[in-house]
Amino acid sequence: MALGAHPRFRVYEIFVQKDHQSPHVWVGSVDAGSAEDAILLARESFLRRDPAVSIWAVEQSAIHRTDYADRDFFARETDKRYRTLAGYRAANAERWRKYRRELLDLERDFVRD
Amino acid sequence: MPNHDDRHAAFLDRVQRGEKIEATDWMPDEYRIAMVKFLQMHALSELMGALPEKEWVPRAPTLARKLSLMAKVQDEVGHAQLILRVAEDLAAPLGKGREELVAELFTGEAKFHNVFHMPAPTWADAGIIGWLVDGAAVVSQAALLTSSYAPYARVLQRVCAEEGFHIQHGESICLALAEGTPAQRQMLQDALNRWWEALLLFFGPPESNSPSAAVLFKYRFRTKTNEELRQKFLTKYVPRIWALGLTIPDPQLRFDEEAGRWVYTPPDWSKLKAIARNQGPLSQYRLGLRRLSYEQGRWVREALLAPAAQAV
Ligand SMILES: [Fe+2]
Ligand SMILES: [Fe+2]
Repeated sequence: MALGAHPRFRVYEIFVQKDHQSPHVWVGSVDAGSAEDAILLARESFLRRDPAVSIWAVEQSAIHRTDYADRDFFARETDKRYRTLAGYRAANAERWRKYRRELLDLERDFVRD
Repeated sequence: MPNHDDRHAAFLDRVQRGEKIEATDWMPDEYRIAMVKFLQMHALSELMGALPEKEWVPRAPTLARKLSLMAKVQDEVGHAQLILRVAEDLAAPLGKGREELVAELFTGEAKFHNVFHMPAPTWADAGIIGWLVDGAAVVSQAALLTSSYAPYARVLQRVCAEEGFHIQHGESICLALAEGTPAQRQMLQDALNRWWEALLLFFGPPESNSPSAAVLFKYRFRTKTNEELRQKFLTKYVPRIWALGLTIPDPQLRFDEEAGRWVYTPPDWSKLKAIARNQGPLSQYRLGLRRLSYEQGRWVREALLAPAAQAV
């Protein structure tokens, strides 16, 4: 189902990129008659203060979406620790402990050089 | 396919467990209708809330004040746009569009907040509105940041952040007047006297038993009562008002340590009834202004619609 709005306006979802190091982030939506107007309205609605380098306007009907009710799709039935930092960090730190003295001595050597 | 009663019970269970609802989720009509009504009133109040201060834009005492007031007025209109967008998605299955949501203000079917029916005759009123009326608005809006309706809660994050600026702007005006000449100080005191009752009325009567309020509580759209919000407002702002050496026009006002709450002379609650019928002090005047700008802006709306009409 396409979400609401005035039958003659279209809904555009708006994504703003605040600088080149950041991804475009969804900020909200606007009603507009054209993509060009949507971008103009987005600037007035969402960028009255914040700087930005780019705006994307995407017609809402063009978005393919998952269903919030479909929790199975996002199910995490297996333990994901083998993929994460947290899965290794504590055990590694523990094992590094016995090399601490050597490590400190070596680092001191490098700094002296 | 579960039957309607099962779906309704499951929905109620979800919101009462603190889960959030999205626009595309199934929801009972009772929830949808109550939400549309609330959001419509909030959006229209943002729109109407811009008017008392817009009156002061051409008369602001300095260019800096004019700029900050213009920015605030523009934010309020922006808030109306953001909230209308959320309301539209909810209202669409009821066969209502943006145009109807906005136009129902003129037929009296849709209300705007009681505080915006009041006059703002001096520059100090503009300051008091920014500081205390927006202060009261943030108290009630911040309580809705955890609302069960997620699209509204998301929009409120931006709204509340901008309200923070409005309060600073209002404080700046009030502090300047409080530290100004005796005449400026008196103007500030007079404005406070004028607005005090309106600030108490702002949150509505303590025991709001209206059926629509009950629906909002049932579905965890809101969780704080009118009185809880008013007490929060008093705790935050009464000490600040006193610190400026201003007098609050209520000899009964005090903090009851034992009960842990503020005691105050109740405002004349019957005034809310007149305001709800658009018979407040400036109800008709402000509706007239709104009607005028709605008509004067018609060509803009039509111009914005033109590309959509061509593309279809
Ligand atoms: Fe606002
Ligand atoms: Fe505001």
